Amino acid sequence: MIEKVLIANRGEIALRVIRACREMGVATVAVYSDADRGALHVLHADEAYRLGPAPAAESYLRGDLILEVARRMGADAVHPGYGFLSENAEFAEACAAAGVTFIGPPASAMRVLGSKTRARQAADAAGMPRVPGSVTGLADVAEALRVATGIGYPVMLKAAAGGGGKGMRAVTRAEDLAAAFAAASSEAERSFGSGEVYLEKLIERPRHIEIQLMADEHGSCVYLGERECSVQRRHQKVIEEAPSAVVSEDLRRRMGDAAVRLALSAGYVNAGTVEFLVDDAENFYFLEMNTRLQVEHPVTEMVTGLDLVHLQLRVAMGEPLPLTQEDVRLRGHAIECRIYAEDPENHFFPSPGLITRLIQPSGPGIREDCAVYEGWNVPLDYDPMLSKLVAFAPTREQAIDRMLRALDEYVIGGIKTNIGLFRRILMDEDFRAARIDTGYLERLLAEGVAPVLEDVPEDVVALAAALFAASARRETLAAPVVSEESRWAVAGRREGLRL
Amino acid sequence: MTVWLEVEGEKRRVELPGEIGAGSGAVECLVDGRSIMADVRFLQAGVLSLLIDGRQYRCVLDGDGVVIGRRRFGFEVADPRSLQGRRGAGAGTDGPRPVKAPMPGRMVRVLVEVGDEVEEGQAVVVIEAMKMQNELKSPKAGRVVKIAIAVGDAVGAGDVLVVVE
Repeated sequence: MIEKVLIANRGEIALRVIRACREMGVATVAVYSDADRGALHVLHADEAYRLGPAPAAESYLRGDLILEVARRMGADAVHPGYGFLSENAEFAEACAAAGVTFIGPPASAMRVLGSKTRARQAADAAGMPRVPGSVTGLADVAEALRVATGIGYPVMLKAAAGGGGKGMRAVTRAEDLAAAFAAASSEAERSFGSGEVYLEKLIERPRHIEIQLMADEHGSCVYLGERECSVQRRHQKVIEEAPSAVVSEDLRRRMGDAAVRLALSAGYVNAGTVEFLVDDAENFYFLEMNTRLQVEHPVTEMVTGLDLVHLQLRVAMGEPLPLTQEDVRLRGHAIECRIYAEDPENHFFPSPGLITRLIQPSGPGIREDCAVYEGWNVPLDYDPMLSKLVAFAPTREQAIDRMLRALDEYVIGGIKTNIGLFRRILMDEDFRAARIDTGYLERLLAEGVAPVLEDVPEDVVALAAALFAASARRETLAAPVVSEESRWAVAGRREGLRL
Repeated sequence: MTVWLEVEGEKRRVELPGEIGAGSGAVECLVDGRSIMADVRFLQAGVLSLLIDGRQYRCVLDGDGVVIGRRRFGFEVADPRSLQGRRGAGAGTDGPRPVKAPMPGRMVRVLVEVGDEVEEGQAVVVIEAMKMQNELKSPKAGRVVKIAIAVGDAVGAGDVLVVVE
């Protein structure tokens, strides 16, 4: 039985886990860095503990500190969220050694499936189709050249410990391979602490489709349908949806069965995701496995009606899965937009800073997983994700229209966001017709991200601006002029202090 | 009350009646002398509903801009004299041009030195913010005359980092 969970994360995912715990009567401990003292996950938790300064290496990545907090606060489990320590086998092992349940897979399964090269070997052993290429890390450029010549160009170099598009390079000609190898390897070293890279055939215009799994420690594993994640920029997902518009019942079953085989062969327990590339002819190729809850899990929750974090906790408590494959029913369509603090009209520059205005969308079929509020200062130390907006409806077309409606309601002031970019995508004919692949967004962006704008009469704009200016002026005139000193004096009197 | 504004670069003059937002229905406002009957209601700080000829506009104050529907319009309160003074200033390619930080961050690389000749669009510095490295480019062709920051420095939005002449 788990009675108190420490959430080793921040932002919307920390809040998401805290909410699930509270629904299940499980107490929560938040941890935070100096940049996050005022963050919502701290506010929502039962207990909260400071880890250290803002840089993740001194706070959210300090597994030793986190376990120390767990011990001191009496937490019997740790939920790692995604990112940070979520796929760190040493941390999972340290938790086990400290007698704290790690809400995720065992370190052994993580070691096999978390490394891309070892996962490819496991996929081969499980009889899963994969993209042609090297199964192990490449020793040097000569080996890279040999493998590339064998499978033919174009090829893709990838970091073995990679993620988020780091340490990846596409190579179309043999003469570019050496430079790309050096660049990918050094980027991988900097990002993941390991310079190991491997190489695989570049599949042209593939779709990125992934299968959500849930496995218990009693040998049961179910797949919960697929997610289409082809709308990407620089190998990072931007929009995800469930189900995929192109996956037939037959393809879903074949991919799901293959994913389950892989998980069972590695002794996998808890939530995980097997990622595939899918081509026009419904061939699918194993890409990698994510051994954690993912950012895009809400779209699966919407179409299956399941709460994946509840399931994670139950499985971590040793309970058997409460459902079999036959019980999994998909209904409707869900789309998720990742709302980022960035400026699509200016090179996607990040835009941290104070949120001066926040009007959040709501209404039928809208879910928002969010951890920001009006007055929150979005720190520059972490990922720029502000929230995940999810629209759910009976059909894909209706879900798209619902999302557009929600985006129109959404106002985030003070910083730049990519809300306008989502309008552009959702109104695009190719997206609406589901003619998408992993290169789709880059092609759309090449056409420019001119925002979709409606007409507002100039006089109305001038009138609104004047009204705000006039009201500010009135407030200024009405407010008593108080110096800093006298304000302290007033506060002091109120608090009964002697100044 | 008369308010002088510059909205999206255009000079505007708006005359407002004394009492507004009391829920008494439409009041007459004059925009550049044109009459608009508007039912004005402040819903909360910085959020305003305008009803004009039955059409509803949700107006949200966002810093130095107003968001109406999907659009944000920048505006500045000004008087006519100061607006005239600023016209034409700051434009053109002559003279020194600063490279400013578009957001707060940390300087991770300086790609030029004082005295270097640079092309327009050539990357001059790299700032890291929110786990992303962002190259900032020279606004013009010319010579680097000043580097105001060093690797490792924290920079604020709008800080001048490099000056190209």
